[in-house]
Amino acid sequence: MSGKATLLLIVGFSIIFLIVSRNFGDVSNRAVDNFINYHKETVAHDLAVSGANIAANQIFMDPTWDDGFDDVPFQNGTMDISVQILDAFKNIRQITSHGTYQGYTHTAKVVLAPSKFSKFAYYSVSEGGTIWWTGSDTVWGPFHTQDYLRAHKHPVFFGKATTKRSTIYYTNEKTDKPYFYGGYEQGVNLPLPTTAVDDMEAIADDAGFKLSGHDTVYITFDRDSLRYRFSYNAKNTVVYLPAAAPNGLIFAKDCVVRLNGVVKGQYTLGCSSIMSAGKGTIYLDNDIVFDKDPRIYPTSNDLLGICAENNVLITNNLANQSDINIHGSVYCEKGGFGAEKYDTRPISGNINLLGGIIQNTRKAVGTFGTSGIKTGFAKRYKYDDRLMVASPPFFPGTGGFEIVSWYE
Amino acid sequence: MGFSTLLDIIGSMIIGGILLSITMRLNDAATEKTYNNSGELSLQQNLAVVAQILENDFRKIGYCSDWNKFPDPSKAIVFADTSRIIYLTDIDSDSNMDSIHYYLGPTSELSSTPNPRDRLLYRVLNNEAPLSSNLGVTQFKLVYFDAIGDTIPPPITAAGIITSIEINLSVESVAAYDEKYSSAFWRQIRLVARNLRNR
Repeated sequence: MSGKATLLLIVGFSIIFLIVSRNFGDVSNRAVDNFINYHKETVAHDLAVSGANIAANQIFMDPTWDDGFDDVPFQNGTMDISVQILDAFKNIRQITSHGTYQGYTHTAKVVLAPSKFSKFAYYSVSEGGTIWWTGSDTVWGPFHTQDYLRAHKHPVFFGKATTKRSTIYYTNEKTDKPYFYGGYEQGVNLPLPTTAVDDMEAIADDAGFKLSGHDTVYITFDRDSLRYRFSYNAKNTVVYLPAAAPNGLIFAKDCVVRLNGVVKGQYTLGCSSIMSAGKGTIYLDNDIVFDKDPRIYPTSNDLLGICAENNVLITNNLANQSDINIHGSVYCEKGGFGAEKYDTRPISGNINLLGGIIQNTRKAVGTFGTSGIKTGFAKRYKYDDRLMVASPPFFPGTGGFEIVSWYE
Repeated sequence: MGFSTLLDIIGSMIIGGILLSITMRLNDAATEKTYNNSGELSLQQNLAVVAQILENDFRKIGYCSDWNKFPDPSKAIVFADTSRIIYLTDIDSDSNMDSIHYYLGPTSELSSTPNPRDRLLYRVLNNEAPLSSNLGVTQFKLVYFDAIGDTIPPPITAAGIITSIEINLSVESVAAYDEKYSSAFWRQIRLVARNLRNR
């Protein structure tokens, strides 16, 4: 009798222990499963992002690449990558990358757009000898130079800064290191095109407005009209810009342009030179500003590209002896942006630039001594944030792409 | 016979008492372990869910399906503090920017739970009412880094220089047997929202 009771007792306890231990084991398994699932999702995400990075790199190396990759095995999972052309005219492309790992799939989508030089707040091929960026200099948008970046007493770069060559410190790194708030990368080779301004002629012939056959053209933007003449005392001819240049490009062939006015809409002015170094230069005779300043009117659509094959210079005249206001992105393919007679002209106030400067060779706009400006201008350059995504029509491109949207 | 029977009864009572005691202790231990293990499972599930939501949301900082509508993603972070962040993103990919606000509530809000340290982690989408559920969050700490990787010390006055974020999250079980609370910790060492620096 007692033997049966003992047996029942042992069996009963064994069953209880089995149930309890199974319950504990189940809870432990579920806790582990929970993190395994999280791990699988993370790996699938990483695969998708890796695929997007690999495809983006392919496009950076070869802008025409759109083959994609089919189910490439990687890290015990697979990556499936395709490239779609979202807008053939604007050449907008999208990379879609699917990462799959043990039943989990994650998708990353990356949109790329052609990169324009107009996105730069400052670009130069040559820094013009030994011009230093000093502690009083602040660059607000993207910065690039093919030259050395010469730093003195911590200049500030708020946008991404890149150089082809390295950074040189005036004294040493401790006293001169720039503040790169948008990141810094050296060894980036981004050459300036050599025929971008010349190439504008065909676009102007297509649906733009072309002026040719004269040594000098005086151009005044009068909101949505353009007034021009070919000598100082001549009478202006007026054209309505949306009709005269529906694609937004105004091209002055092999001449000097003398420019001023108020711009309404989105336009690029190109000025070429065939042989003479004196031509292909745009002189700013007076203010050239937007009809609606985007700092006051955030919805302003006004954009201007000032593209010279050689130089863009601030004229040494009476109008420019008390500040000059420039709204637009300045591009100098073989020369630079500077002030005419910068070292002999009177103290002329400030250059209030809203936009960016893209130039081959950095030029001076004035001279200064211990007591301040001695001749010419002080610089007040402000980046137009809209140039991060928008560019004046047919503004020269870098030939490559940039990532404009990343979804993961 | 009588003495022997008495000894049997006393012996049975002692053995039965021991068995009863073992059974009761077993019951107590089983209850404690079941409570704590289940609590730990629940807490780990909570941690994984919160981590996934945070990663999903934070990776989209500055994203807009129509990139022309948000020209400068470096302005996406509106406010950043050690336990609070407000940023802009197109969370539902409808080309309209949304604001997302994460912040940690006070412990007093959850005084009804036995755990004195748990708080509500709120997520606010645009101007909607703050949403939260009690997942046992006890710590939600954010550390911000600039493009060079240096820590940005609070208070952060220029949120535009943030390029990556460290997220620290601790959760504890909201109730525990004998106040032995389980805890788990998750840290995303460098979460890079790619849109912040894509242009």
